[in-house]
This record gives sequence, structure tokens and C-alpha cells, in this order.
Amino acid sequence: MKLNDFEQDGVMVLEPKGKIMGGPDATILHEKLYELIEKGKKKFVIDLSRVEWMNSTGLGIIISGLTTLRNNQGELKLANVTEKIKSLLVITKLATVFETYDTVDEAIKSF
Amino acid sequence: MDKPIITESSIKIPSSQEFLVDVDGFLEGRLVKHGVDKGVIADIAISVTEIVNNAIVHGNKSVFEKAVTVEIKAENSEVEIVITDEGDGFDPHNIKSPIEDDNLLKEVGRGIFITRALMDKVDIDSGPGRPTRVTLSKHI
Repeated sequence: MKLNDFEQDGVMVLEPKGKIMGGPDATILHEKLYELIEKGKKKFVIDLSRVEWMNSTGLGIIISGLTTLRNNQGELKLANVTEKIKSLLVITKLATVFETYDTVDEAIKSF
Repeated sequence: MDKPIITESSIKIPSSQEFLVDVDGFLEGRLVKHGVDKGVIADIAISVTEIVNNAIVHGNKSVFEKAVTVEIKAENSEVEIVITDEGDGFDPHNIKSPIEDDNLLKEVGRGIFITRALMDKVDIDSGPGRPTRVTLSKHI
């Protein structure tokens, strides 16, 4: 998995690419998320358009980031959720927890 | 064993998550060769990596020397995958539901639940003091 990140209008956008299945790939996303949270960033969008699939390790990372941020008056939103990941969010009822948007711009504007 | 051992129908890995990518590559190769749809391959790969993660972390307690073996059998329109660890087992009836309100925001505990949703059949053969053997089946 590869990971790009950039800041737009005060919102951190993370762009993981590939598969998130556990191991070194998952560590990259987890460490970047927490590095930015520790730097004081509170608004995040994860663009999932380039994620082929993720398993519960990936879901665990984004739910962990979400709860950490909400406990610190922050928020994490999802954009471009693929059908594969959408079905996992529905199966696990996490679709009721995350705000999801069709585009990164919409997600950023929602803050 | 310090790296994966791959045969035509199996892959055996040391207990480290760095080898999950090898398991995924092995599965994809075998299933593509069998003409399986890309979406179905993803469902199978998600499920197998869930069970292999559990085998590494909970079964083998991440002891590198202990192996996790994944065997695949694809015949006609059915695929069967067997994942075996070298751990001390667990009670498969004692798995909490991740969709209960108290568990919904937990970081872990969704693997078997997701696997049961994506595969047609999940059989967990385990018990205290013996290795765990999980058999996954899916129509392809």
C-alpha cells in the first residue's frame, strides 16, 4: 500500500492506495494518521478511491482514528468509498458511524 | 522456515504479518487461473487474510517459528480454503458480536464476522490445547 497526504482548507486529506490487509501496509496508514493527530490536526478526510479492498485491520485503523479525533473535538470523514468497502461498512454497521461523501471536495466543504 | 514455502495448492508462512502480502498473491494467482471474478477474489482474499491474521496473532501469538498454512482447492464452481495454525486453540462459541452497541467502536473483533458474511460456509475446528483449523467455502 502507498499513502499520499496533503492539506486543503485546513483539512488533512489522506490517499491510501492498494490493499489494506494488516502488516507493514496497515502500519503506514496508522502511523501517518497518529503523527498528524499528534501535530494537532483535527479535521481529516480519507479518500478511499484507490483502495482496492481492506479487511478488518483497515476498518480498525479508521475507527481508531475517528474515536481519537472525536475525543479531541476532531472528525474523520470518508470520501469516494468503493462498493466493496461500502458493503463492509454496511455489514459491520460502521456505515452508521462514519460520514461518507461522494467526493473529497464535498467532504472538505462539510467541515 | 524464515520465508514462505509455496506449492501448487498451498502456502506456508512464518507467523509474521509481513507475509500476508504473499498469501494474497498466492490466492490471487490460483483464483485468476481458475477464472474467478475479480470481486469474488477480493471477498475471498479479505476473508483469508482475516483468518490468517487471527492465526498469526491469536493462534501462534506471533511466534515467528510457528507456521500458518493455507491450502486451496478449486473444483468446478466451488473453492475451499483451509487455514491451519500451530497454536493452543480457543472456544469458537465464545466470539462477541462486533455489531452490538458496546462493541461497535472497538478497533478489533470484526474478522470472523466479516468472513462469515463474505463466504458461503465457515467451519472453525478448534478447542483449548489444540491447533485451530478453519475451512472456508465459496461458490465461484
